[in-house]
Amino acid sequence: MQKHGQNYRQADEMELVKASLEGDKNAFGEIVNRYKSMVARTVKGMLGDTVFAEDLGQEVFIKLFHSLPEFRGESKLSTYLQKIAVNITLNEIKRRKRFFSMFSHSDGSELHEYDIPDSESEEKKDARELVSKALQMIDPKFRIILAMRMLQGYSTMETAEILGLPVGTVLSRLSRGQEQMKKILKGL
Amino acid sequence: MKTEELKNLILKSLEGEEPDPLIQKQLKEAGVDFSFSSDFSNKVFEKTFYAGKVLNRETDFLRSFSSAFYRIAITGIAAIILLVISIYISQGFISFDSFFGLNNAEEESIVCIMTGN
Repeated sequence: MQKHGQNYRQADEMELVKASLEGDKNAFGEIVNRYKSMVARTVKGMLGDTVFAEDLGQEVFIKLFHSLPEFRGESKLSTYLQKIAVNITLNEIKRRKRFFSMFSHSDGSELHEYDIPDSESEEKKDARELVSKALQMIDPKFRIILAMRMLQGYSTMETAEILGLPVGTVLSRLSRGQEQMKKILKGL
Repeated sequence: MKTEELKNLILKSLEGEEPDPLIQKQLKEAGVDFSFSSDFSNKVFEKTFYAGKVLNRETDFLRSFSSAFYRIAITGIAAIILLVISIYISQGFISFDSFFGLNNAEEESIVCIMTGN
């Protein structure tokens, strides 16, 4: 059993969850470090490579912390966390759509503040910006499928489990998302 | 990687029923990957263990308020419509007085109530 203040790098998921629930901040810190890249790909894939997406990413982990008592270990912690990330992100997109439809004719998708780190080659920055822009132009219900595939490399089954959709629906949305992506990339 | 090559790689990554690990690797090497800033973990810590609970509640409250607003508004409108229908059924017509239940009231009695005379 890990004691408070111990290094949790080799700990398994259930150990981390148990220690976090017992109040060990290092254990929760290890959860954040282990899964922040995964959450970044989902949140930024859906909302764009923006500063705001970082804030939402933080919310995902805060929500995870408060819902840890409900985690039973029936699925992987990464799957549980991914579901939280997807829900928070999709809710944010719906909220923006409602807000922008009330006050303007746009849906806010043109409001981007890209926050690209300086310590990177121009080529990589351009690649990420291209993908970010293209994804933002796709219908959110297809965008999430494309992000899961392109950015996370999830199988169809994994995507279906995370999104709570039948496999057939995932494949059909992947196909439609792919068509949209083709048209969008022609114009970029 | 040139833009056209990248575009082709993006489209290839979406083909087929399952992802191709080699294409995933190529995409990542081309820079198609997202990450949070270096102080992300510290910010999560701060919000979770220090300011997090309050911020979360405020954010949750505002979000709940905004989604509750529509439900309350629709319920209110439905209640008004039902009221108008029930007045029409009981009175046979709709008027300002019937809406406020003043149909059968005499002016004098209203004056008496208001002035106490």
